[in-house]
Amino acid sequence: MRVVIADDSVLFREGLARVLVEHGHRVEHAVGDVASLLRVVAADRPDLAVVDIRMPPAPTAMGGQPPIDAGPGSGTDGDPDGAEAAVVIRAEHPATAVLLLSQHIELRHCVGLIGTDGFGYLLKDRVLDLAEFDAAARRVAAGGSALDPEIVRALVRSQSAPPAVAGLTVREREVLALVAQGLSNVAIAARLHLSDRTVEAHMRSVFTRLGLHDDGGTHRRVLAVLRYLDVRLGPVAESGSVP
Amino acid sequence: MVVVTTGLATAVVLAGVLIGAALGLGAPLVLCLACSVAVAVAWVVVRHSPRSAVGPALAWSSGCVAVVQINDVLAASAYGPDPLPLASVAAHLWVGSWPVNLLGVFLLLLVFPGGARGGWWSTLPWVYVAATTAVMAAMWDLQQSDGQVVGDLPAPRQVTLLIGLATVGVCLALAVLSLVLAYRRGDPPSREQIRWLVLAGATVVVCLVVGWVLGSLGARIEVAYGPFLVAIVVLVPLAVGIAVVRYDLFDVDRLLGAGAAAVISAVISAGIFALVVLGMSQLVRAGTALGPSTAAFVTALVLLPLHRWVSRVVGRVLDRERTVALAAVNRFAADVSAGRRPPEEIEAVLRAAQRDPGLVLVLAAPDGRWVGMDGSPASKPDDRAADPAAGITVQSRGVPIARVRLTRDSARTRRRIGDLARVAWMPIEVCRLRLALREALAETHASRLRFAESSAAERLRWAQDLHDGAQQQLVAVGMRLRLLQRAAAGDAGLDTGLRLAITTELEAAVADLQGCVAELRRLAQGVRPARLEDGLPAALEAIRDATPLPMELSVDPGMLGVDETHALTAYLVVAEAVANVLKHADASRIEVHVAGHSDRLTVRVRDDGVGGLDSDAPLAALRDRVSSVGGTLDVHSPRGRGTTVSVVI
Repeated sequence: MRVVIADDSVLFREGLARVLVEHGHRVEHAVGDVASLLRVVAADRPDLAVVDIRMPPAPTAMGGQPPIDAGPGSGTDGDPDGAEAAVVIRAEHPATAVLLLSQHIELRHCVGLIGTDGFGYLLKDRVLDLAEFDAAARRVAAGGSALDPEIVRALVRSQSAPPAVAGLTVREREVLALVAQGLSNVAIAARLHLSDRTVEAHMRSVFTRLGLHDDGGTHRRVLAVLRYLDVRLGPVAESGSVP
Repeated sequence: MVVVTTGLATAVVLAGVLIGAALGLGAPLVLCLACSVAVAVAWVVVRHSPRSAVGPALAWSSGCVAVVQINDVLAASAYGPDPLPLASVAAHLWVGSWPVNLLGVFLLLLVFPGGARGGWWSTLPWVYVAATTAVMAAMWDLQQSDGQVVGDLPAPRQVTLLIGLATVGVCLALAVLSLVLAYRRGDPPSREQIRWLVLAGATVVVCLVVGWVLGSLGARIEVAYGPFLVAIVVLVPLAVGIAVVRYDLFDVDRLLGAGAAAVISAVISAGIFALVVLGMSQLVRAGTALGPSTAAFVTALVLLPLHRWVSRVVGRVLDRERTVALAAVNRFAADVSAGRRPPEEIEAVLRAAQRDPGLVLVLAAPDGRWVGMDGSPASKPDDRAADPAAGITVQSRGVPIARVRLTRDSARTRRRIGDLARVAWMPIEVCRLRLALREALAETHASRLRFAESSAAERLRWAQDLHDGAQQQLVAVGMRLRLLQRAAAGDAGLDTGLRLAITTELEAAVADLQGCVAELRRLAQGVRPARLEDGLPAALEAIRDATPLPMELSVDPGMLGVDETHALTAYLVVAEAVANVLKHADASRIEVHVAGHSDRLTVRVRDDGVGGLDSDAPLAALRDRVSSVGGTLDVHSPRGRGTTVSVVI
């Protein structure tokens, strides 16, 4: 699969490129700012863009070379940063999936993308679990989703959950949390040491309890995750993610 | 016209002097010489205000006296062995001529200080002239010898004389009345000018009374009435001259007031002395010293309070403006002392008292700057007293503390404001110190806020440094280790045991690195919570999610645009307050409410714990944090009924 990497730290960029190459991907470009990212995505239409959420908007060094390290404070509010670039890419190039990376939990402008197809958001150190990271990257590139458990936890309002979600059993919530992270039923079964059928039964129960009836598509999963996350999605996100 | 009239009077006075000198007559010579003082002053006045009728009137006030003197000399010679020319005519007029003496003074009263009064007043001189003519006609041909009129008058001439004299008296009274009216209708400068004349006139009267007293006590007539004559021919012209040329030369009001008060006090205490002596002589046998000594004692006892009282009353009557102004400022100073009025009103009070709406009070700040009442910088006042904009300096222990700038500036207003400023010293000093204190406090607040802002910025930078620097590099190193591990695992050439050892070791190393990254993230979180990036509400939700107790979080949905410093402060306040609750309160639930905006953010943390927080010690750090951004912290903690911490920042 063809990948573009955007991160203002050369060290991280090179490391990530090697990791992806090792896992059989082709890294088309590794850039360090938002403008370059948008340019190469528009030119090459890669399958996946791995994007740092904090990035300088434009090259700051001479000769168009990406800076080695733009330093702290770059990409602050007001300039387009990685999160906004992700929104732009998903809107303008639907064929290119986006995997956002961050040093810490921050949602910023990408809230609308969370839980939608072809989008993932992980903390950077997840890269160190090579297999899981590769799996998440492939899943996102294939049109699925991947959310970091920490981000899911930050999004879920533990004590003021919506009434519909409050009606779920502990196990059902557990399953739903993993669905929210982007795992398939099979992966969830493996994670929770359950049989695939049990997980499917839990999901059916979740759909029932949330009042989501089978409409012939697979959007019930997305809707359930959205209910679960309660990320205060605006109308844009709902109309964009649910056909 | 003015010059001609004044010159005529001068000629008459000179003629009097020459005649007196030529004939060797002492009294007319001295009198005419004294009159020349008035003439000299009259010329000064004419030079100063060439259009004013005051100069000629002043010249003729002595010129008329000289005319009568010359007439007297001529008339006297008619009865001597060697009559002078015109002597017979002069002799006919001799006795009846004396109202002419007062004609000049009469005219002066009618034109001082601003010129002829106009209206029916202008007919008054003609009435006076007619009355004088009547008197002269009635006394036609009468002779006098050694000051006594010789011969009797027939009845018709007596009636004419009576009418003439009465008319002269009425005219003089009306002239004085015209001066009083001029005073009451006049502007401050003309009042000041009239006061000079009143001062001289009062001196003349006092000298006259003193002369009577001395004469009745047996003093020689020259000694007794000398001061009176000098006063009338020298002091009055001088006073008129000063009034016209430099009416604000001295503080005539105070002179007048103090003089009048002294005279009245002296008269009253003399009366008391006499009464007591009289009373004692009735009570005890005459001849003892008891009466006078008791009287002296009583008088001494009464004199000082009496003088104060008289001064106040006289001041109120003679110099009403100054007395009222001083009283107003005095009352204000007392009100300030009693805390009834703020000292900052002093400028308005001085404006009203000084009747100068453009008056400006400039304070000397302790650091040497000159500032207005509101603390705005004022230009440095010029110290030259001649500069009208500079006003007067108010001093406290030799140090200038303020300056009063006047728009209606004269020697008189300066004296007035000087008096007022001496009384207003205390409110001015308080204003100045309060201003300095306010500025110092504002500076302290500003510097604390700057410190809080730089601290917030610092925290943001530290957190980003941790994330983008150390954390990022650790992850990069981790990736290299992972790739190495992968390479080792896939390398068939390696010994199995070694491969296992390498991969296991690398696995552990990466796990350690992940621990490090998590730890760094936790540290950065403590320095500045990353969730603040998503807004204060999101960051507060993170606190709630990390709190083991049920925590109800309500955030005003309209809360927008909270800057980094305030958001961080609010976050840290909630975090610390919640930590306090967990540590001390033994509570079962916590409520957190946040509302407002960047200008005014309110945070309330309430628990249902033990309460009874009677000392501030546990909240000292919290209070410091809040006051560093100029906020306030309020604790309500009844025993057994929970604690509420309310913060406004």
